[in-house]
Amino acid sequence: MDWSQHYPAFIQNCPSVTQSAAEAELPSEALLAESPKRVEIADIGCGFGGLLFALAPLMSSTLILGLEIRTSVTEFVQEKIKALRTQNAGNAFAYQNVSCIRANTMKFLPNFFEKAQLSKIFLCFPDPHFKARKHKARIVSQQLNSEYAYVLRPGGIVYTITDVEDLHDWMVEHFDAHPSFARVSEEGDECVRVMTTETEEGKKVERNGGQKFVALFIRLDDPPWPSD
Amino acid sequence: MQHPYQCIAAIESTAQGQASSHLLAACGHRLVLVDVNDSKIITEWFSAISTTNTAEAPENDDGERPKKKQKTVPPVKPANIIKLTVSPDQAHAVAVTDDKYVRVFTIGNGKLEEISQRCMPKRPCAVQVLPDNATIICGDKFGDVYSLPLLPTASEDVPMVADTALESATLEADEPAFKPSATNLTVHTKRNRKALEAQMQQKAFSAKKEPLKFDHKLLLGHVSMLTGVAYASRNVDGRDRGYIITADRDEHIRISRGPPQSHVIEGYCLGHKEFVSKLCLIPGTDLSVSGGGENELYVWDWPAFTLKRKIHLTDEVVNTGESNAEASRQADDGTMSQADSSKKDVAVSGMWIVPCPAAHGGTETALVVAIERLPMLLAIPVNQLGLPRGQDVNITTIDLGHAPLDLACIGDSVVVSLDAREEGQSRFQAIKLQEVQEQGMIGNVRDGEMEKRLACLNSYPTADASLDGKTLDDLLYNVGNLRKRRGWGDSAKEGDDGPDGDAGVDDVAED
Repeated sequence: MDWSQHYPAFIQNCPSVTQSAAEAELPSEALLAESPKRVEIADIGCGFGGLLFALAPLMSSTLILGLEIRTSVTEFVQEKIKALRTQNAGNAFAYQNVSCIRANTMKFLPNFFEKAQLSKIFLCFPDPHFKARKHKARIVSQQLNSEYAYVLRPGGIVYTITDVEDLHDWMVEHFDAHPSFARVSEEGDECVRVMTTETEEGKKVERNGGQKFVALFIRLDDPPWPSD
Repeated sequence: MQHPYQCIAAIESTAQGQASSHLLAACGHRLVLVDVNDSKIITEWFSAISTTNTAEAPENDDGERPKKKQKTVPPVKPANIIKLTVSPDQAHAVAVTDDKYVRVFTIGNGKLEEISQRCMPKRPCAVQVLPDNATIICGDKFGDVYSLPLLPTASEDVPMVADTALESATLEADEPAFKPSATNLTVHTKRNRKALEAQMQQKAFSAKKEPLKFDHKLLLGHVSMLTGVAYASRNVDGRDRGYIITADRDEHIRISRGPPQSHVIEGYCLGHKEFVSKLCLIPGTDLSVSGGGENELYVWDWPAFTLKRKIHLTDEVVNTGESNAEASRQADDGTMSQADSSKKDVAVSGMWIVPCPAAHGGTETALVVAIERLPMLLAIPVNQLGLPRGQDVNITTIDLGHAPLDLACIGDSVVVSLDAREEGQSRFQAIKLQEVQEQGMIGNVRDGEMEKRLACLNSYPTADASLDGKTLDDLLYNVGNLRKRRGWGDSAKEGDDGPDGDAGVDDVAED
């Protein structure tokens, strides 16, 4: 996966240190290069990018990735990123730390992120899939929570928000039941404010006078292997 | 036409000091147990017409769709056996039938007796008995891996384990009067608004799916059809660690901790470009081999999640096989010829470790690979799997009379079940492999003795006038169906992209 296409200001397209050491003679400076920066924040189902664009300036040296399954919506976000980068080219902050990919995260999350890579995952206003037979298509489930635990580092946080109380209860139940997660308070986390007010969905909910339900979960350490 | 034996499994035990060899063979919905030493069939088991097929009403979707008219259900054919496996202590066999049932048999004392049948929520497509000889793990087409006790407990009212309690709690906590989960205040896409309207009009609950009544645990799940499930064990710092390795249609191979920590994913072996269909652990090593919809096998150091090398199934091998297959297809009656394509699509349909004594003596093994529909087996000495990249691995082709359906080892003899459909054709071939030391190639010798002993299976009456080539093909050849149509490069579907589009939600496997 060539991340330099997404974050050119942060990641140069160069072979990894170990590969170059094995295959080519390189000056010693290359061997001392820092390990390449990696995405740390993922917005799963980023939609039109509201959260991405609001978070980006608050964490300007952290790489943030939006994942969206709809191709046209992804293209919209990618175009907007391009435009913001161009418009802000001379400024201190130029939206270089944010990008968007078209992806089906339910199936391919581990293809994009390595073990314990992320520090934050956002699940904002996921599709509620009201019908009971569609519940298995919900973005939070016992099985998928193991994948979120895999890509999230211990101490990392999952942020969830929805205006559908039933879905909120579902997400809380499933994360609570998963041994790798524990619920934590929303207090004192700047990202909660951003998540609550800055997404398109969030703003629609405000206009309609609906309620928003927030829940945060911390990724716990893996248990030691069982000893017989 | 005669029905081939779609699954076979060897049972070798030394009960009461007597060494005995048996072969379990599944033919359609029938299971037979053969005493290999006595060359005769000693038990025969029929899959009875399953009662649930008639009892199950069509899924009701909570009444959100208008009730479908009930069609008169024609008498259901007994379900075919699709998977067969034997417990490590050779005392039990587990068969999966097409009607989603997992059936456990005792096979002691030369008798085959069904002791339980449990209906799984989705059709299982991989099943294994763990080394503890007390637990079955099975993976299904929806992507979930369940563990069940091998011997079910007597009581039906087993308290649900935590994770399934979650499912039932969500179902049972609802009030009798139906309350939609959304309100007018919640924001909807057009599709969701329609769903809400339908829910508002609904007066009462319709029957929800019953939670499973037997003891079971949901260990882990992919959101993709599982194609392989294997339990592996490694000794680390003097302790045995168990792992569950799962492979899916979306090119993933996942390594999770074994029960009770299967929620912990240790890592992935990523690299396949097409579906993975078979996984094979190499005993005594940290290697595993996987094959699928590509012309290459992948050799992994699975504890390190790294690809050691690929083994190219040479084009000549595949092409020779193809032309042999063409010839045999024209000779057979009633088989459909493979869809015409100039590109030879490879689908690995079987991988087994078989004995392959070395020329100088000593026990060696070989990896034997079957490619769907090709009347051949490919054999690679196991000691070649670790050869560094760049060094070619010797692949020996073993030609067979017909396409191989399954394989089992009885002693040093490799018994292959063939897709021989014309009455009178032999449905089994037995060979013994031997490594030819100098070239790393493998010689093979027909084991006529073993074939004679299995002759009773050939004469077992399974001629069936109602059999037709298409039904057989559907039962025997579905690995190739795992291939995805590459339109968008990411399994997206048309119409996904509008604001009201399904956004690929239906990629999640349905019932």
